[in-house]
Amino acid sequence: MDPPSATKFDVAIVGAGPAGASAAYTLARKGFKVVVLERGRTPGSKNLFGGRVYSHPLELIFEGFKNEAPIERWTKREVLSFVTEEGIVSVEYASGSSTSFTAYLSKLSAWMASKAESAGAILVTDVRVDDILMENGKAVGIVSGGDRLYADVVVIAEGVNRLLCERRNITPQLSPEEVALGVKHVIRLGTDKINDRFGLDSNEGLAWFLIGKVTDYLPGGAFLYTNSTTVSLGIVVFLSHAMKKVKRHIYEVLEDLRTSPPFTRLLEGGSLVEYGSHLTPEAGLKMMPKKLYGDGFLIVGDAAGLLINLGYTVRGVDLAAFSGYLAAEAIEEAHSLGSYTSHNLSCYERKLNDSFVMKEMKRHDSVQKLMSKSHIFELYPQVLVGTTKRLFEFEEASPKLLEAAKESLKGKGSKFKMLLDAITLMRGP
Amino acid sequence: MPLDIVVCVKWVPNTQIVNIDPRTGTLIREGVPSIINPHDLNAVEFGLTLKDSYGGRLTAIAMSPPSAKAGLEFLIGMGVDRAILITDRVFAGADTLATSYVLAKAIERLMPTDLIIFGQETIDSSTAHICAQTASWLKLPYIYYVIDARLEDGKKNIVVKRVLERKIEVFELPLPCLMAIAMKSNVPRPVTLSNKIKAKMENLIEVWNNEMLKLNINCVGLKGSPTVVSKSIPTPVVPRKKLKFEGTDPIEAARWLLDRLAEEGVRVI
Ligand SMILES: Cc1cc2nc3c(=O)[nH]c(=O)nc-3n(C[C@H](O)[C@H](O)[C@H](O)COP(=O)(O)OP(=O)(O)OC[C@H]3O[C@@H](n4cnc5c(N)ncnc54)[C@H](O)[C@@H]3O)c2cc1C
Ligand SMILES: Cc1cc2nc3c(=O)[nH]c(=O)nc-3n(C[C@H](O)[C@H](O)[C@H](O)COP(=O)(O)OP(=O)(O)OC[C@H]3O[C@@H](n4cnc5c(N)ncnc54)[C@H](O)[C@@H]3O)c2cc1C
Repeated sequence: MDPPSATKFDVAIVGAGPAGASAAYTLARKGFKVVVLERGRTPGSKNLFGGRVYSHPLELIFEGFKNEAPIERWTKREVLSFVTEEGIVSVEYASGSSTSFTAYLSKLSAWMASKAESAGAILVTDVRVDDILMENGKAVGIVSGGDRLYADVVVIAEGVNRLLCERRNITPQLSPEEVALGVKHVIRLGTDKINDRFGLDSNEGLAWFLIGKVTDYLPGGAFLYTNSTTVSLGIVVFLSHAMKKVKRHIYEVLEDLRTSPPFTRLLEGGSLVEYGSHLTPEAGLKMMPKKLYGDGFLIVGDAAGLLINLGYTVRGVDLAAFSGYLAAEAIEEAHSLGSYTSHNLSCYERKLNDSFVMKEMKRHDSVQKLMSKSHIFELYPQVLVGTTKRLFEFEEASPKLLEAAKESLKGKGSKFKMLLDAITLMRGP
Repeated sequence: MPLDIVVCVKWVPNTQIVNIDPRTGTLIREGVPSIINPHDLNAVEFGLTLKDSYGGRLTAIAMSPPSAKAGLEFLIGMGVDRAILITDRVFAGADTLATSYVLAKAIERLMPTDLIIFGQETIDSSTAHICAQTASWLKLPYIYYVIDARLEDGKKNIVVKRVLERKIEVFELPLPCLMAIAMKSNVPRPVTLSNKIKAKMENLIEVWNNEMLKLNINCVGLKGSPTVVSKSIPTPVVPRKKLKFEGTDPIEAARWLLDRLAEEGVRVI
């Protein structure tokens, strides 16, 4: 090994995603000497998500967020659709106000990292961290290739595929049950076509979720988000189900969706500008490491399992960013206590528990459990579309709602169970 | 015997994704992400290997818009000791004559140096002129397609091997001299973390503009460039026909394919 780098840092952060960049920005502003290590060529080049971010937590972290951040459109229309071979039933919510926006995660991460750099953090890209450097059970830096870099604290912000945590036995290996796979197209349509076809003003965004046939009835769903000039269309499927039941390549499922009504018409004339795929945690509280801190280190963002996945929608950017922010506060507190022992860093967990992050994680845990069950994704679309079809497609006698519902529920299990599920579902975001 | 080496590198648009302006016939460089000319990484590796063997210092220079700073940081990450970014609006639009003139003047400021190395050619223009032209301005000897170099006779001469298709030739050149390194002749080393941090923390990149070089503005940039693009013929776009053979019999499929080709005027004999 080469001699260790001459420079020693207060904090080394692995990963320049939303979690790492937010921690770096906050720490640099507090006067810490921070280095961020990112394996992508530029920050953001390795990041992929669906398309919508809840704004408030980011406004608390980043000064000037609303004015400067690469926001595409403010989401003012939400549509949830149930899809079967027979048709589509959709529920729509539209509002004049909005608390979330559509974005490209690559641009948003790059922006956050540039804010951290202007605040004084050193950002080093194109380097992969291979290991956490441990001495006597305490993290003292990182290893990359033949290089060692020393730091008083290490913030692990490596995302869902937490190889460093696994290597150091901080977390067990991921199992297929704990993750979902997302595949996404970005399709350029131009502002006018998007506004016309989706019924939007230039600043209005649409978030559209679909469940049922869109994933071959597997737990998961499809999403469509409108950006300024492009549309993000993708699917998320729970990996364990996908492995067992999907007999073809997963991108073919998305390809089928893109080339089926109503998407053929909505996306006509568009050109594919980006194609990507990424894992995402899905196991809720179960996927969180037992402890999010130890002697000399903290874990933030997806690596810490801080993400809400309801199958058809994933929310992680704001949780990741806020956990990075709280990690920075915890480091400042430990610093004032004189050392970065596990004991002094434990305030991180307390801060998380007191914040919306853990409150939301806990609130959604039962929904997440429910969403990993396959019947929701098959039964609901079948019953809803079936009922609606019977209501509107008749030849002479128009059926009553109850009759139609009864008919489509035939042999499909207990109405009571469905009611319970519906209540749990509605407690979602 | 330590060597003072200069390597010239060009910051080029990644030509895999570049388009030609149909009106002017020149490359559309705006909005295309740039990279260090890949063949120049072979030159950098060549310089670093010499430095590993004999000690000394490797300085990278690039004439380019300011965005090349990222590329120079990358080279410092590989092990280059310092970099000079030659940037000024008056240098824009340069052809090979004007480019080599500015590079030669910059190299003069860095004299005495022992060796000035170049890539073989660039991926966005590939004239392979610059090494020879720069040598002419400097009135120094030069050689192309170099794959190996070794110091002879203390530090006065350098023995180089160069490839010409299937032949390897050996030459001895006096120092200082210029050489263009054969493309793909070595594997550029990866960046290291400590070098990258050095690039970020220590000010190793100097910026030179024309206030400093004080070159006659009629000899640089567009004004100093006699080259004109008289005509450029774009490769015709052939729209896909999107035909699909629907049967299952391979013999039938082959026949069908030949028929379609025949319709296009392709004859199989
Ligand atoms: C298909 C899909 C759809 C989603 N949709 C949404 C959505 O609409 N809204 C939402 O809020 N969230 C969404 N998410 C979740 C969101 O993307 C994540 O929660 C968020 O990106 C987590 O941020 P992070 O910083 O923890 O990790 P990441 O964004 O994964 O960043 C980790 C970074 O660390 C780097 N890294 C990893 N290991 C190393 C190493 N060893 N050395 C150096 N660098 C390393 C990576 O290159 C990467 O840049 C979605 C996720 C997926 C997969
Ligand atoms: C017909 C024609 C018209 C052109 N018109 C224009 C124009 O209108 N506007 C315009 O901007 N360009 C134009 N160019 C491009 C311009 O002439 C060249 O990009 C430039 O002079 C360098 O030549 P090259 O890329 O062919 O280098 P080569 O001779 O192929 O490069 C050899 C080596 O020289 C070194 N080198 C080359 N350029 C630099 C540099 N800038 N800094 C440091 N080292 C360098 C590198 O080591 C490189 O590997 C034109 C080129 C041609 C052939």
